Amino acid sequence: MLQILIQGLLLSGLYALIAVGFTLIFSIGRVLNLAYGAYLMLGGYAFFWVSQTLGMPKVVGVLVGTLVGVVMGLAIFRLIVRPLKGDMVAVEIATLILAVVVQAGIVLLFGDSSKILLPIVPGVIQVAGVSVTYNILVATLVSWAVLIGLMLFVSMSHTGRAMQAVSMDQKGAAISGIDPNRINMITWGISGALGALGGVFFASYTQLSPSMWVAPLIIAVAVVIVGGIGSIMGTLIVAHVVGFMEVIVVAVIAPELRGVFTMLLIIGVLVLRPRGLFGRDEL
Amino acid sequence: MTFRTGLAAGLAATLIAGAATAEIKVGFIGSLSSDTGLSTLRGAEIAIEELNAAGGVMGEQITLVTADTGEDVTEGIKAYEYLAETEEVDFIISGSIDDVSLGWLPRMQEYRIPTLDTWTSYIGIIDMVAEDPDAMRPYFMNIASDEALATLYINFGADVLKEKMGWDSVVILAEDTAFGQAITGLVTEALAPVAGIEVADVIVYDINTVDFAPIFSKAQNSGADFIYQVSSVNSQVISSQYVKLQVPMAMTGVNVAALGMEYWEDTGGAGGGISTLSPVPSVGFKLDPVSQAFVDTYQAKYDTRPKVPHFNGFNAYQGLKQAMAAAEAAGGFGDVDAWAAEMLKQDLKLELDGKLWLRYGFWGYDEVEPVTGRTYPHNARFDLEAPYDDAQPSMVVIQWTEQGDVGVVYPPEYATMEFSVPSWVPTE
Repeated sequence: MLQILIQGLLLSGLYALIAVGFTLIFSIGRVLNLAYGAYLMLGGYAFFWVSQTLGMPKVVGVLVGTLVGVVMGLAIFRLIVRPLKGDMVAVEIATLILAVVVQAGIVLLFGDSSKILLPIVPGVIQVAGVSVTYNILVATLVSWAVLIGLMLFVSMSHTGRAMQAVSMDQKGAAISGIDPNRINMITWGISGALGALGGVFFASYTQLSPSMWVAPLIIAVAVVIVGGIGSIMGTLIVAHVVGFMEVIVVAVIAPELRGVFTMLLIIGVLVLRPRGLFGRDEL
Repeated sequence: MTFRTGLAAGLAATLIAGAATAEIKVGFIGSLSSDTGLSTLRGAEIAIEELNAAGGVMGEQITLVTADTGEDVTEGIKAYEYLAETEEVDFIISGSIDDVSLGWLPRMQEYRIPTLDTWTSYIGIIDMVAEDPDAMRPYFMNIASDEALATLYINFGADVLKEKMGWDSVVILAEDTAFGQAITGLVTEALAPVAGIEVADVIVYDINTVDFAPIFSKAQNSGADFIYQVSSVNSQVISSQYVKLQVPMAMTGVNVAALGMEYWEDTGGAGGGISTLSPVPSVGFKLDPVSQAFVDTYQAKYDTRPKVPHFNGFNAYQGLKQAMAAAEAAGGFGDVDAWAAEMLKQDLKLELDGKLWLRYGFWGYDEVEPVTGRTYPHNARFDLEAPYDDAQPSMVVIQWTEQGDVGVVYPPEYATMEFSVPSWVPTE
């Protein structure tokens, strides 16, 4: 039981970090950015290149990885989202194709074999018979810090309040002097940074591979659909629901069914409560 | 020029052109982007270069064409059809994985092109040869079948895991693939009755699993003394997480990623302590002069991964030469029965320090292997009993140290180091 509690908490923290950037874009821009998994992949590969290939300090690798996410987020907004002017389906198709293109680029640059990242923070402790790496412990702490920071930023800063206004009503926000394009751009940049940072931790916990963008995208979609649009707290709670559910399925039922229950949860919520468990109209 | 002389001149020109372009065409089928596929391809390339430099076969030069399977069954079937219909090859050398070989086997039976598998070890294919020798006449497999691999591994279980380490129970962590099921079945059936090691639990995981922490916890909860892993897909993930999590149980079994020299680099150095059974010659395996010369040529010719050919690269190199020698004796590849009969006569014995070290030959139709009591027609010759004076063992167990070295730990006749548990695993 204690083992499930520890592993569930750690995995859920990582999932929350992965999903929060996706929630942000879905809540403010109202689009499913299906290239979101590519942020994670680029963040992980940038970290690998800087810290393991070039041998630079890991903190530099984390910063470069996060910066790559910001640049990609901004580029997608400028080159895809704005020109498509709110055509949600076109944005979703374009971002999905972009993810595949990024995957091909990764294969070209790094090859198609999987790579294992060294832990950002090395070391492991045994807690109640459970192996806990410092790496996932730090990922969980970073996740909570990022989520708390994001909630404070959205509720207390001028830009954050402007983001709330845009998420409620873009036209109304524009009439009151807020530039929705600027706010959207900031949101896409933050989302890219969060995705890439999540990717660095996710990859250091699991592996780097050109197809690694799919699994975190599914997690992010699950968390957003089940949590509902516009709820950072909902993201945090549902990340824990998904994380604990996976750990319990592995421990109690069968490891090969790990992802199945997440899918069933998505379908169930879509059918019974399409707005999600914690959904509202704004952040 | 009359019509008759014109026709004669045209015919002569055609014959001359035909003679100038006469060639034996070899087709490679396998993945062109995996270390496994490239090992077979490069082994075949080197063999062809050496044969051509020596004047070719039956006075003809050998050419090589490739067909990429991408390790996908459907692509594999299309690749075989391409080699047969478009390229009209005389002989096919395969670096395919089990499922892909099973996919194109019906095509091989249809086209009847002599084919040599260098990586696939699925015993079911050898059973097909035994049950329907006519249909499977063109097929040879020059790696010991997985049943032979598992049979000798059980000896490792009895001699080392049970007797030396004192382990009584095992938990099996197996991927959800045909390979995983086959190896799990063989090990489960034999470990308890032969080696005296009880199977406490069998945990099957999806091949897309990237988080093994809860799975390792479940393995620990089984109360077993050690973990037996069966992993052929993304194997570096399970082994690196075992190391990163410092799971306090020993783990051995089958880990395909650990079969290549790139394993250490691929795991970012998080691969120490992992041991796996391996077909021979494995990484860390002492090489006879002939095999060493092949590796030297390989390394002089290729500077990309795999830096050292996997076992199937050696198989391709020697197997292709044997296939050509058989064709020379049979008058070509056209008469498949004659070629297969000559192929069965191929027997290359390589020695190291005066001892038989490696043998490239095949089991005949009626030869019964004494340990398992069954036949292995068209399968690579192997020996399941020490002192391995008939052939090399069907497998060896290799182990990576925490310093990144690799060596053979079993059987003792081929060992270069001692089997040990990782430093974080309690020995009591």
